[in-house]
Amino acid sequence: MTLVALHYILTTMKVSLGFNESKDYVQAVNEAVGEATIGLQNNLPSFAIIFTTIEFAHPMVLKILNNLLGDTPIVGCSSLGIISGKKIIRHGFAIALVSLGQQTFFNASCVKEISKRTPLKTGEELGEKLLYGCRDVRRNFSLIFSDGLIANPGQLFNGLEDKMGKSFPLIGAAASDNLAFSKTFQYFNKDVLTDACCGILWGGKLNFGWGIEHGWKPLGKERLVNKANKNVIQEINGQPAIKLYEEYLDKNSLELSKDLKRISIFYPLGVYLPGENKYLLRNITAIKDDGALITQGDVPEGSNVRLMIGTKESCLTATKKSCEDAQKRLFGVKPELIMVFNSASRFTLLNKQAAQEIEIIQQVFGPHVPLIGIYTFGEAAPLESINYLGKTYFHNQSICVLAIGADK
Amino acid sequence: MIPNFLMFCAMLSIVFLVIALFSKMQLLKEAQGKIIRLDRSLEEMDEQGKLIMRTDMELNKTQEALDKKISGLNTLQKLSHSIGTTLEENQIFKTIAAEYLEELGFERCLACLWDELTKQFQIHLNIGYTDPELAKIKTTLQEDKKYYFSLVHNGLTSSSLFNPPDFLSKEKIKLYFAANSFIISCVLPKEGSRGFFFVGTQNMETRITEGDCELVTILANQIGQALDNARLFEKAWKSQQELEVKVEERTRQLSQAFEEVKKLDKRKSDFISSVSHELRTPLTSIKGYASILLTGKLGNIPEEALERLKKINRHSDELVHMVNDLLDISRIESGKVIMKFETLSLKEIMEKINDLFAEQFRAKNITFSYQLAEHCDTLSADRSQIERVFINLIGNAFKFTPENGKISVNVKCLDKNIQIDVTDTGFGIPEDAQEAIFEEFYRVENPINQEVKGTGLGLTLVKHIIEGHHGKIWVKSKIGQGSTFSFTIPTN
Repeated sequence: MTLVALHYILTTMKVSLGFNESKDYVQAVNEAVGEATIGLQNNLPSFAIIFTTIEFAHPMVLKILNNLLGDTPIVGCSSLGIISGKKIIRHGFAIALVSLGQQTFFNASCVKEISKRTPLKTGEELGEKLLYGCRDVRRNFSLIFSDGLIANPGQLFNGLEDKMGKSFPLIGAAASDNLAFSKTFQYFNKDVLTDACCGILWGGKLNFGWGIEHGWKPLGKERLVNKANKNVIQEINGQPAIKLYEEYLDKNSLELSKDLKRISIFYPLGVYLPGENKYLLRNITAIKDDGALITQGDVPEGSNVRLMIGTKESCLTATKKSCEDAQKRLFGVKPELIMVFNSASRFTLLNKQAAQEIEIIQQVFGPHVPLIGIYTFGEAAPLESINYLGKTYFHNQSICVLAIGADK
Repeated sequence: MIPNFLMFCAMLSIVFLVIALFSKMQLLKEAQGKIIRLDRSLEEMDEQGKLIMRTDMELNKTQEALDKKISGLNTLQKLSHSIGTTLEENQIFKTIAAEYLEELGFERCLACLWDELTKQFQIHLNIGYTDPELAKIKTTLQEDKKYYFSLVHNGLTSSSLFNPPDFLSKEKIKLYFAANSFIISCVLPKEGSRGFFFVGTQNMETRITEGDCELVTILANQIGQALDNARLFEKAWKSQQELEVKVEERTRQLSQAFEEVKKLDKRKSDFISSVSHELRTPLTSIKGYASILLTGKLGNIPEEALERLKKINRHSDELVHMVNDLLDISRIESGKVIMKFETLSLKEIMEKINDLFAEQFRAKNITFSYQLAEHCDTLSADRSQIERVFINLIGNAFKFTPENGKISVNVKCLDKNIQIDVTDTGFGIPEDAQEAIFEEFYRVENPINQEVKGTGLGLTLVKHIIEGHHGKIWVKSKIGQGSTFSFTIPTN
């Protein structure tokens, strides 16, 4: 018998996932990491992406992780719920261990204390850090996790674009909590952070595809935003912005304020993007005394807006469309990992039908592709790009599906 | 000519221009009309859009309320089932799982019951609170216990929708319990400690409705009823335990008494046995000497003395008989008698009995008969003992059956036994004496017994012999209609 020595060289990316719902976080982290490590089949992880529900946002979780994974870089964030291939986990911990092949690389970084700078400056700083050592190589895309409660999150991505390039694809998720809207968490290596953003730059021989959709349709006449400053719309068609909602829903400002979250989910504002031929959704987070609307994300002055209407069915159709777009952009490459960043508003809207989205994703990509995702307070991804090559937008109420595969 | 021609051309051009201008103006007018119509359509569509949006909002609201109600009822049904089937007080709270609460739209829950001993509300259930959070809540519960006590006392419900005027403000409750929306409903069992059930959520989007309050109140009532059931069960269980302890104690006392009785009985049997033995020797001498004297071998005896001697002889016989019976009973009781089982012919025994009593039957003109069922003519028993049984029973029957009466023996086979019935047409035995007649020295009070002497040991001996054969004996009798003594002997 001849013995043949085999030398394994990882030429492709390998991803393994671990999920756990145990209430004891020591047990949950240990078991989830154990599950993911086994799935990696003796390959060393290049980095880890972690998602937790709010109860797991604890320094001990990171301590255990560091003990188990050594110096493996860790990035991630908190969420209202974790999406797995089997179910939506309302209380638990999830980890994706990624082992990159020979000709692929990454760079992970983080910027703390966004409020002490501006989102734009934060984005620029993060962009600089992510590009460090990666300027002369093929860069694919960046995955960004940011605090979901910061004002002007769109500016963060503008800052990133300023440094990384206007057409460089950025896929982002704004961390969420248990809908208390009090505190969201970001994880970077040993730290449990808030008011921060972290990201991973993926480069080398990789293929990826993404799709982002919301499923809402415009209703009524188009209106012009006469006066706006970042995420505050002061006037629409020469009137206080709130008039638009008052007219359409036949409610006064006080009534609208009381039911604002619900109204905002069902009837968000649609900002028309002429270059993209699409509507970008904006949730209304507050109404100011002068009738100005505060939105979750910027609305440029001079833009055309319409009220949007959607149903559970249109939501699910959008899920399918975003999956199909992501698959199309993979150009036939087999996906190794599917990441989903889904709006927390959609979870509220779909309620018991939320799990149907998992079925739809698996119908498109197959039931065995590793799937991990979270519910977010905002999603970032480029649209179809007609005039702007891959300009990234900050979205509300959308589902972003990211499919990553090895190079052909 | 030329100027005129030019003039004409110019005029013609002007005419054409006027016509073209007119035509353009017409087109412009038409386009303006179209624009106005389009604008009107757009306005109309916008109005339609408003209507659609308002209708959609109402539909969504209704649908949401309906979904919530169905989901709530479904969860309540599941919770009620698990609470209702729990009979342990602590387990009742454990059945309320976080999943159920989430289905009701809450992720935080507390169940507090008033503890009379410590004079404070004790937390029996905690869902969603960390230990530091719980410690803070405990402090506020203690500080504001009078408000909670008053709420429970008046059986009121507090919620972020409606709060009773004398209770803590909504803002305080939200702050203390770290919840944006909440419901506090009273848990009011009929007996024992009462308390309240708190559910809350941090979710900013949750709006408490009257339906939510109703559901939580029903749930709190269910908990109250379950507590009542559990406490009742606990009480019943404790009573049963106490009863069992008492029964055990009494059984032990009875066993002790029974052992004492057995000891006494043994002592009695031993005493009877030794006394009987001691009596038999002098009795034999008395009888012997009386017999010798009666023969006249020791000289003539005067008539009066002879008569006394005959009485001595007869009474000695009776005494010997009694002593023998007592000895037999004592032997059987102590297990000293070993039954020699053999297959006996019942016909043979019956004939023997008939021969034995034939003279006496004739004297009283009593008809004796026996009947053996088919395949039921043998018996496995000790010959001498079983003959004593028949002699005693038929002898008794003869004694208490008046002249021209009937005595019959009927033998039948049962499943595992042979049953023998001895029936007479005698005086019968009173019902209250039918069990006692098998006791030693018991004699039924009737004219015959007053005339006919007996030891009162015959039936006791019979009972002991039957029991020595693992059989049973009983009597059925009616005064004036006769008696039937029945006994069974196992076939194996």
